[in-house]
Amino acid sequence: MVGLLLLRQNRADVVFFATSVRPCSGAGGTLDLQTLILNLQHFWAEQGCVIQQPLDLEVGAGTMHPETFLRVLGPEPYRVAYVQPSRRPADARYGENPFRLGRHLQLQVILKPSPDDVQNLYLRSLEALGIDPAVHDIRFEEDNWESPTLGAWGVGWQVLLDGMEVTQFTYFQQSGGIELAPISAELTYGLERIAMFLGRKDSIYDIEWGGGVRYGKIRLVDERESSTYGFEVADVEMLRRHLGDWESEAQRCLDHDPPLVIPALEATLKTSHLFNLMDARGAVSVTERVGLISRVRRNAIRAAKAYVAQREELGHPLGICLEEME
Amino acid sequence: MTAFLLELRTEEIPANALPGARRQLADSLSRALTEAGFDGITVRVLSTSRRLVVIVHSLPERQADRTERLTGPPIRIAFAEDGSPTKAAEGFAKKAGVAIDQLETESTDKGDYLAATVVHEGRATTEILSETVPAVLAAMRFPKMMRWGLGQHYFVRPVHGLVALFDDAVVPMEIFGVAAGRKTVGHRVHGADSFDVVSIAGFADTMAERGVLIDPEERRRVLDERAVELAAETGCRVHPDDALVAEHVELVEYPGLLRGSIDEEYLELPREVVITTLRYHQKCLILEHEDGSLAPHFLTVIDRRDDPEGLVRQGNEWVIGARLADARFFFEEDCKRKMEELAGELGRLEFHRVLGSVAAKAERVGELAVALSNQLGLDLDSEVVRRAAHLVKTDLLTNMVVEFPELQGIMGGHYLRLEGADDQVWTAARDHYRPSGFEGEIPESELGRLLGVADRLDTLVGLFGVGEIPSGSKDPLGLRRAAQAVVKILADARWELDLNDAIRTAAAGVGAVVETPASEITEVVHDFMADRVRRYLTDMVEVGSDAADAVMAAGWGQLPELVARARALDAVRTSPQMRALSLAFKRVKNITEDAPEPLVDPGLFETDEERELYAASEVFATRLGECVGARRFDDAFASMGELAEVLDRFFIEVLVMCDDQKLRDNRVALLTGIRREFLTLADLSRLQVDGGNA
Repeated sequence: MVGLLLLRQNRADVVFFATSVRPCSGAGGTLDLQTLILNLQHFWAEQGCVIQQPLDLEVGAGTMHPETFLRVLGPEPYRVAYVQPSRRPADARYGENPFRLGRHLQLQVILKPSPDDVQNLYLRSLEALGIDPAVHDIRFEEDNWESPTLGAWGVGWQVLLDGMEVTQFTYFQQSGGIELAPISAELTYGLERIAMFLGRKDSIYDIEWGGGVRYGKIRLVDERESSTYGFEVADVEMLRRHLGDWESEAQRCLDHDPPLVIPALEATLKTSHLFNLMDARGAVSVTERVGLISRVRRNAIRAAKAYVAQREELGHPLGICLEEME
Repeated sequence: MTAFLLELRTEEIPANALPGARRQLADSLSRALTEAGFDGITVRVLSTSRRLVVIVHSLPERQADRTERLTGPPIRIAFAEDGSPTKAAEGFAKKAGVAIDQLETESTDKGDYLAATVVHEGRATTEILSETVPAVLAAMRFPKMMRWGLGQHYFVRPVHGLVALFDDAVVPMEIFGVAAGRKTVGHRVHGADSFDVVSIAGFADTMAERGVLIDPEERRRVLDERAVELAAETGCRVHPDDALVAEHVELVEYPGLLRGSIDEEYLELPREVVITTLRYHQKCLILEHEDGSLAPHFLTVIDRRDDPEGLVRQGNEWVIGARLADARFFFEEDCKRKMEELAGELGRLEFHRVLGSVAAKAERVGELAVALSNQLGLDLDSEVVRRAAHLVKTDLLTNMVVEFPELQGIMGGHYLRLEGADDQVWTAARDHYRPSGFEGEIPESELGRLLGVADRLDTLVGLFGVGEIPSGSKDPLGLRRAAQAVVKILADARWELDLNDAIRTAAAGVGAVVETPASEITEVVHDFMADRVRRYLTDMVEVGSDAADAVMAAGWGQLPELVARARALDAVRTSPQMRALSLAFKRVKNITEDAPEPLVDPGLFETDEERELYAASEVFATRLGECVGARRFDDAFASMGELAEVLDRFFIEVLVMCDDQKLRDNRVALLTGIRREFLTLADLSRLQVDGGNA
C-alpha cells in the first residue's frame, strides 16, 4: 500500500526490523554504520562500479534513482553503487518502534549485464562487512518483485544471513513496460538492519553511526517530527495541488521536443512522493488511489521510453553489451 | 548396460518449483528415451536447491539395429530379357542402399516384385543423449522463469555447470551457453572447490563428502531424525509441520538443524502470534511441551553441517527475539485502543471499489445476519448481531493484523476478550473466517456461524454483482472457498436454512451499490453454489457423483436434509432394485415429458397391472409424506424400491401409448403422479447403471 513508485513493495526494503551479522571482535570491534557504507562502496568500486551519490529528491527506494530506473534500460553496460535515503512516510513510527523508520538507508548496486559470478561477488561483499561466509548460514530464498505501477518486474531472492534478511537480490526482467536485455542484477542492502544485526542492538537508535555518535542522536528527533508531519500536519490540499502541478510538469517535459527525460522523471518522482505523503495522512480515498497510481505510471513509462529513444539517438555512449562481450 | 549421469548446476531454484521440476524432468526424459527405442530404462531425478541431477540406468551402448523390408518394382520390369538389371532395378537398389545382387524377390497375388531388406544400424547412445537431453532441458517450464546476463537464455535461474557422463565418458552437449564436462563443485561452505566426477556409481557419496545430499528423501530423513533428537534433549516435542519440513528439504543442499532459545517472556503473547512469527516469518519449527503449550525453544534448518562458532544460532536467536519484540510492540500498541472505539474507523478501510468500505460491508452483513437469524429462529438479539458484524472486522485496523494478515480474526478474538466483550462476540470474531473452504472446524458459537455465513454470502453476491467471477483456475478472491465454507457451515451446523432464499436476500442487500439486477446475481450465485454443494456431497459426504446429481435434481437448498437424502440414496444406489427403478424411471420421465397435471380416473383402468401400480403409488405417496417429514430417507428410498417390480410389470403388460386417447391420458397421468412423488427425493434417471447412463 505504501509507495507508488516504490519498486519493491515487500517487506525487505522496509527497515522494520532489526538486523544482521557477525560482531567483529578484535581490532575495531563491530563495524559502525559509516564503516559499513565505506567498506561496501570501496568493495563495489573495486568491481568497477561508478560510486554515485543519492538522488537529491525524496524517493521510496533506491530503485527509483535514475541510475537504476533508467540505466537498466537499453543495451549499454553499466555498474553503479550508491546509498539512497528512502522515505516511506506510512512506515514512520514517531521514533517509538525500535525496528521501524520513516526514512532508512539502502545501499543499491546495479550490475549490468549481470555477471556470471554475481552471487560470489555478493558473498565477497559480505566479507567486506566482516562477515565470513565460512561460519555463517547464508541463504538465497525466492522473493520476486513486481511493480505494475512501473510495468516492471524481476526475479530473485531475499538473502538471509543466519535467518536475518539482509539483502534483496533481483534480476530485472522488465521495466517501464520494456522487456530488458541485457539483464541487470540489483542488490539492495538494508543498511540499518545490517548494522543492527552485526552489533546485536535492540534498537535502531542504538546503532553506532560513526565518530562515536549513535544513530538516535542524529535521527530520532527527525523521525519524530517527520511522523508528526506525515500523519498529522501535512497540508493535504497543498499536496494534492502540487501532485497535479508536478504531473503536468512531467507531461510538459515529455511533450517537449526533444523530450526532457531526467526532468520528466524527477517531476514524476515528486508526484510519487506527494502521493505517499497523502496516503500516510489517510487522505487518499479508495477510488482515488487507483487513478493516482495510473497517472504516475503513465509518466514513468513514458519517461522510460523517452530514455531508450534518447540513448539510441546518442548512439549509446556507454557502448553496447553484446559488442563488448564479443 | 550402462548408466548416464546429468547434473545441471544453477543458482538457487525456488523451493516450490523443485518437486514439479523433478517430475517434469523424469517424465519428459523417460518419454524421449523410450521414443528413441530404449526400453526398460530407469530414470531417477534428484535435486538440491542448486542442482538438478538425473541418473538413468540400464541404457545399452547403442540403439538396437532395426530392419526394414522395402518392396520395389515388379520383377518383369526390373530385369531385361538377358537378365541384366534395368534402370528400375538399379534405382531401387540405390534407394534401398543395397547391392543389386542382394535384392530379393517377393511373391504376391499381383505377381513377383523386387524387395530388399535394409538394416538400419542403431546409433550410439551417446549421440542420442547429446541431442535429447538439451532438448528436454530447454523445454522445461517453471511457474516463473527468467533471463540473465545478456538475456539469451531462459530458465528458472541462471545455469552454471553441466556434467554429462555416459559410463565414464563425457557426453558432448551444450545448453544455456554451458558445455558439458565432468567438473562440478560441492557445497558452498563444505566443498566449494571444483573437482572431476569420475564415477556415476560413486557420485552421491562423493557429493555427500563435499556437503551435498543430492537425494531429497535422504535430506528429509536426516531432518526428521535430527528434529526428534534435538527436541528430546529438552524434554519437548516438535510441533508437527510437514509442509514446512518439506519446504526446508528443497531449500538446502545439506539439511543442518539447530536449536535455539526464545526469551520466556515472549510466550506470554497470544500463542498464534508466537507461532506466526516463528513459523511463517522465520520458517522455524516450534517445540512444545507434553501438554501442547509452547516451549521456549525453536528448531531452525540451516544449509550447512555445523555452526562452528555458534554464530548461526546466535544470529537466529537475535532475529527471532527482534521479531517477537516487534510483535509485542504491536500487541501492546493495539491494546491501548478499545475495539469498540476502533470499530468506528472501519469506514477508512476499503473492501471493494464499488462495494464500498468495510464499514459499509459490515452494515450489510449485519442486516443479512439478522434476517437469517430470524428465519432460523436463533436466540440472538438483533442489535448484538448488528454490532458484532462490525466488531469482528475491527481487527483489520490493528497493527498486528496489518503486519500479519493471516492473524485476522484470531487477533480480534484476543483483543475483544481482553477488553471484556461477550463470549459469543469474541469467539465469533475469532472463528468467523473458519472454515477455509471445506477444511477445518466451523465456528463454535451460533453468532460466529451466522456471521460467517452472512459475511461470505455478502462477498459472493457483491463480487459476482461487479463481475469479479472466478474462471477456470483463476479465483484470486477465494470465492470458491467462500461458497464452500457456507455449505460446510450450514451442513455441519444442521441449519435448516434455505440457501437459495439466503442468496436472494443477500443479493437484495447489495442492490443499492451494484448495477446488476438482484435476480441476475441470484441466478449466477445459485449456479455457482450448486457446484460447491455437489462437490460437498461427492468429496465430503462421499456419495457417488450420480447419486449427488440425482438428489440435487430434487432440490438442494436445505443442506442437512440434502445430505441425509444423499446418504440414503447412496447406500442403495447400486442395489438391483434401484438399478431397475432407475431404468423404469427413465421411461417414466420420457413418457411424461410435457404432460399436464395428473388426474387419474381409476375407472378407466383396464389391467390388473394398472390397478396394482395405482394402489402401490397411493401407498407410496402416504409413506413418502411420513418418511420425509421425519427425515427417514432410508425408509423413503426403501418404499420407493418396492415400486420397482410393480413398475416393471406395468411396463411389460401395459401399452401406455395406446390408440385410445382417454386410456392413454389416464395412464400418462398415473405415471406423472409417480414421477412427481419420486422427484421430491431424487431424479433416479441420473443414476449410473450398467450399460451407460440410464
